[in-house]
Amino acid sequence: MTIFKAASPEGTRDKLFAECLRLRGIRSSLMELFSSRSYKEIMTPELEYYDLFVRAENPLPQETMFKLVDRSGRLLVMRPDCTAPIARLVASHFKDAEGPFRLCYDETVFRSAAGLDGADSELPQCGVELIGAPGLRGDIEIVSLAVDAVRSAGLRDFRLELGHADFFFGLTEELGLSREDEEALRACIESRSFALLDELVAGYSGEAAQCLRRLPYLFGGPEILDEAAALTSNPRALAAVERLRDIWRELVSAGRGDCISFDLGLVQGLDYYTGVIFRCWTPGAPSSVLAGGRYDRLLCDFGLELAGAGFAVYVGALASCFECPEPEAAKTLIFYESGCLAEAVALLGGGAELSCFATEAESLEYARRAGMKLLVVSKNGIKEVDPNV
Amino acid sequence: MSEPLRIAITKGRLLDDSIRMFQKAGASCSELLDPGRRLVLDVPELGLSAVLAKAPDVVTYVEQGVCALGIVGKDTLMEVGGSFYEVLDLGYGRCRFALAAPRGFSLSARRGTLRIASKYPNVTRSFFRSLGQDVTVIKIEGSVELAPVLGLADAIVDIVETGNTLKANGLEIVSEVAPVSARLIVNTAAMKLRKSEILELTEKCRGVLNA
Repeated sequence: MTIFKAASPEGTRDKLFAECLRLRGIRSSLMELFSSRSYKEIMTPELEYYDLFVRAENPLPQETMFKLVDRSGRLLVMRPDCTAPIARLVASHFKDAEGPFRLCYDETVFRSAAGLDGADSELPQCGVELIGAPGLRGDIEIVSLAVDAVRSAGLRDFRLELGHADFFFGLTEELGLSREDEEALRACIESRSFALLDELVAGYSGEAAQCLRRLPYLFGGPEILDEAAALTSNPRALAAVERLRDIWRELVSAGRGDCISFDLGLVQGLDYYTGVIFRCWTPGAPSSVLAGGRYDRLLCDFGLELAGAGFAVYVGALASCFECPEPEAAKTLIFYESGCLAEAVALLGGGAELSCFATEAESLEYARRAGMKLLVVSKNGIKEVDPNV
Repeated sequence: MSEPLRIAITKGRLLDDSIRMFQKAGASCSELLDPGRRLVLDVPELGLSAVLAKAPDVVTYVEQGVCALGIVGKDTLMEVGGSFYEVLDLGYGRCRFALAAPRGFSLSARRGTLRIASKYPNVTRSFFRSLGQDVTVIKIEGSVELAPVLGLADAIVDIVETGNTLKANGLEIVSEVAPVSARLIVNTAAMKLRKSEILELTEKCRGVLNA
């Protein structure tokens, strides 16, 4: 027993004052923003059935999930992701309702870190889901809210990068790739393994193959969209580019265009996403601080014909971009005579704390040691005592 | 001029080859050739500042974003994995992963579960998974060739360059597992935030390598 007394499990840690302030600050500014845009908060259980996360589309490997067994022997997991539970929630509570609904959450997801690489297993996430808004307006709402979310958290220097699932799928469909080859290609583009990609595409010729070869480089400013559109005549891929352009135009006119860039090679988690995909990068964070997109098939898995789109802010990664000063120690000690508690409590706030000592003399001595000033509250009123006199 | 890109380079042979590549690309590499007591070594001609590290640490540095770039063998990438962009096969540091066993060994002839010794348990596991064969993997830190000689394992999975060490210990290659060479890896966020500098560098390296 004793050997574990001082340790917390791998991937978890205690967080103290300054860090708590920083995390709390980010979470509350995000939730305030979401609520001001009519997103209503929901909470899903920390514990879910394992089965919820092992549908075919789920990209989470099972070894990353923390598992427990309930009384009847069923396998549970600590929530490894927020979107699937929310899909379940929508499917079970909004069966007959028509969209759109706006939902937001402030939760922790749990993923077993590989260990010893400094990664956290407990990941606080604040996010939104816009359910039942399949069109361009839905995309625009979600993407612009993502920009506002990172801004509201205090980030100034960041890049929100947009991609679209149909660009990749349009091209692979044209090549007629098998599911397996498509996955190999996707992994290659995801990791920008240029050499391997050339090998994989080598057997194919034509426009789509050329374009796939170029795909890992198709990231950058809006000029990327022109380049992408010039590379292909595939209607599905072109429609994806046009959708991105439409979103971008609207954001520019709303003063949110400066931070937008594009990456048509953004193919992570494509099993999940069906439309626009986005990620937010910032100097100081080694990986993205926000990720989201459109997933119109997910709710169908739960028997509900509704489109979905949303994003999650990785609060921990975002918090690591900011310095936060230690909270200040109390400057004033308040000693109250018996019967004067109410008056003493009224003086709290602004760096004052109650004395825990029974006498004024002890309180004075403590105030002197701690470098505080002393207020004495008695039936006769309040007097200030300088402990150094 | 923005601050230099930080690059982690694997110590040893890959460093020598990397210096040669940088020199062909027009850098003097004076600090890399004679580090003295310095820990961070500038390659100003290429806009780089380099740190030297053991191979798995290169991956850690890049993944955690303290270095934007890294030069590391594919063997290490296959063993430790991680999330980063693998943008360039540098072509040097060439060798291969192979399954080796005492002469006369055949994968199909044996019944029962094979015992395989390796410094690379993950590579070994995924190789046999791809064959659909269940094996017991034994992690060995050095002189893997000894394991079959001592009877600890039936075969080994290891890096092979010339095959001389294998031969000297009565082992031969049963099957190639994967080719290995040095790779340039890039932190995902750095790729997005410093695209033009990174692509400029990779193009320079590619030009030198193809020359």
